[in-house]
Amino acid sequence: MKWRALLGFIIVGLVLAYFPELRDMLGYPRYVLTFMYFAFFWTSLATSWNILTGYSGYFSFGHGAFYGVGVYTTAAIVTKTELPFLLTLPLAGVLASLLGLTVGFVVFRLPQLRGELFALLTLAVEFVVAAILFNLVDGGYGLSIGRVPYPDFLGDFSEMMFRLGLLIALLTVFAAYLVHHSRLGRGLFAIHDDEAVAEGLGVPTFRYKMMALGLSTFFAGLAGGLHAVQLSYVDIGGVFKLTVPLFVILMSLLGGRRHWLGPLIGAVIIHTFNDAFSDTRFQLLNDVATGGLLIAIILFMPEGIYERLRQRLIPAATLALLVVVIQALAIGGRITVQFAVMLLFVIALLMIPQRFYDTVIGRFVPSFESVKAKIRSGAEE
Amino acid sequence: MQLFIQSLLSGILIGGLYGIIAVGMTLNWGIMRVINLAHFSLTFLAAYITYQFSTVTGADPFLSLFITLPLFFVIGLVMQWFFETFQIEGFVSLLVTFGLFAIFESIMREIWTADLRTLPLDIVPYRVESFWIGPYALRKPQVGVFVAAIIVSAATWVFLNRTYIGKALRAISQDRVVAGAFGVNHRQLALLLGGMMGVYAAIAGAFIAVLFVLRPDGTVDFIGVIFAVVMLGGLGNTVGAFGAGVIIGVAQSLTSATIGPGFSPLVTFSLLILVLLFKPEGLFGRSATS
Repeated sequence: MKWRALLGFIIVGLVLAYFPELRDMLGYPRYVLTFMYFAFFWTSLATSWNILTGYSGYFSFGHGAFYGVGVYTTAAIVTKTELPFLLTLPLAGVLASLLGLTVGFVVFRLPQLRGELFALLTLAVEFVVAAILFNLVDGGYGLSIGRVPYPDFLGDFSEMMFRLGLLIALLTVFAAYLVHHSRLGRGLFAIHDDEAVAEGLGVPTFRYKMMALGLSTFFAGLAGGLHAVQLSYVDIGGVFKLTVPLFVILMSLLGGRRHWLGPLIGAVIIHTFNDAFSDTRFQLLNDVATGGLLIAIILFMPEGIYERLRQRLIPAATLALLVVVIQALAIGGRITVQFAVMLLFVIALLMIPQRFYDTVIGRFVPSFESVKAKIRSGAEE
Repeated sequence: MQLFIQSLLSGILIGGLYGIIAVGMTLNWGIMRVINLAHFSLTFLAAYITYQFSTVTGADPFLSLFITLPLFFVIGLVMQWFFETFQIEGFVSLLVTFGLFAIFESIMREIWTADLRTLPLDIVPYRVESFWIGPYALRKPQVGVFVAAIIVSAATWVFLNRTYIGKALRAISQDRVVAGAFGVNHRQLALLLGGMMGVYAAIAGAFIAVLFVLRPDGTVDFIGVIFAVVMLGGLGNTVGAFGAGVIIGVAQSLTSATIGPGFSPLVTFSLLILVLLFKPEGLFGRSATS
């Protein structure tokens, strides 16, 4: 099972890594590479956040702290020493992880720090880290990272960012997959459901929480380290903005927290929206929609898209295809905007409350599961 | 030494502002179990409306309270109605109000842009005036906010402890189900409390408009400070919130004066972390409501 999954990840990785080479053949514009880099970046952040929060239920508002440590590690080393920046990436991950483990070592020993208090505490950690870095490293001027040297086989700058971003995203998602399907993952799910009972049944809760936090923060730091190069100018106000924790939470909630694929789905969707509506004319609309979406998900789709998609795969896929064809034939426009519009329709379909869906659409369209069952029983006959 | 005492004094005074904002947070959290991040947005919205009122009419900013107090009573009530209807409380409320917070911030940025806004001196000449005690200056608006904080937290304490409605609210905070069985109407009281939150936001907003330079993301500076005050004061403890506000205010201004302004968030948030770790029930306990 795990070897098959590893093979699957490697194949997906190789196919995607070849994607920049096909630019002439497929004829897509260059910004698609940057667009996809950002999708990889948010996938890494959201998935890494989910390793702790989605699985164990410890809701962190401070993921930006670990991402920020990663950003500043790379930025500081690249600007102040001659070290190649590829070497700084693992260091960024390790430093972020060390910070995470230090926080966890104290916090996870105190049983009262669950739920909203844990969330607040992690938020405070983010502000503390920002203040320390501001005084020790940044000094209020920010750091400018010029061009960084890197091996030639990675291609030009956007191709290099694409490939490294892809690598980090794949590693993060694969780690999330492994955790999900391991003893550790089952332990974390048990902690999520009832920590006291889990402890009583012999789950080493402290060790498992530390492992999850260590992994989660490591990948956040790694993604941050790479992102420093993309940003090219880093300052405390920009790096430690509350958008990072907000987006990460939003993406994971939207996608679904109890499955390793959930944050990936959420990250792709939210990033696509943000990119498509990033025009300053739509700034207000975009921000309001982001906040409103968070509220709407919590109220109407608390289990996330992944679960809903499984139940409504056929109508969702049909609708998506329909919207894509109509746009391609009749409307046109940027590829990413078309993609965003398609997602918008699908999400609207998925958000229809279950009871309403069952009585109206579900009556005519069979669920994917039932079709699969029918095929299986047909084959047996 | 003179610098030390001066910053001690202004820290105590500015602590009053933290107290006013924190009273709203702590009541909503302690009684209705709603952690309302949007309270910061409401406070800043009130500050912006005060600013707008004063610059357009040229009148004293505190006259705008005649508009903002009823307006924010209604806004707070509507917001609480939303929380009640969808049964949003505890951890979920933190997420939902995070969404509201983002929405409010973008609306404020759209209307007032990201520029820094400050009330002109000819409208509020007393902003730079001070009372003098020997060599020490007490800035007039800071004294005003301190006095207002004492009045607000004392009035709230009396309301909670000496009136029939206040007793009902405290009953809810102790045990909602049993209180309901004894005929306490949870929904009506929640709406009333929501309106009160709006009023606190309006009062704090008026002082912020006078004391600070306004920018749409200025709310972020307050989040950590106010949470530290709320936790330090003890959930639902209005008098504790005032006391904790003064403590945090002093800690901040002493740090700024001795080490440097860059370190003042460090001290505030470290205090918050230490309180959460070692004394999550707060320095003053939860006595006012339980």
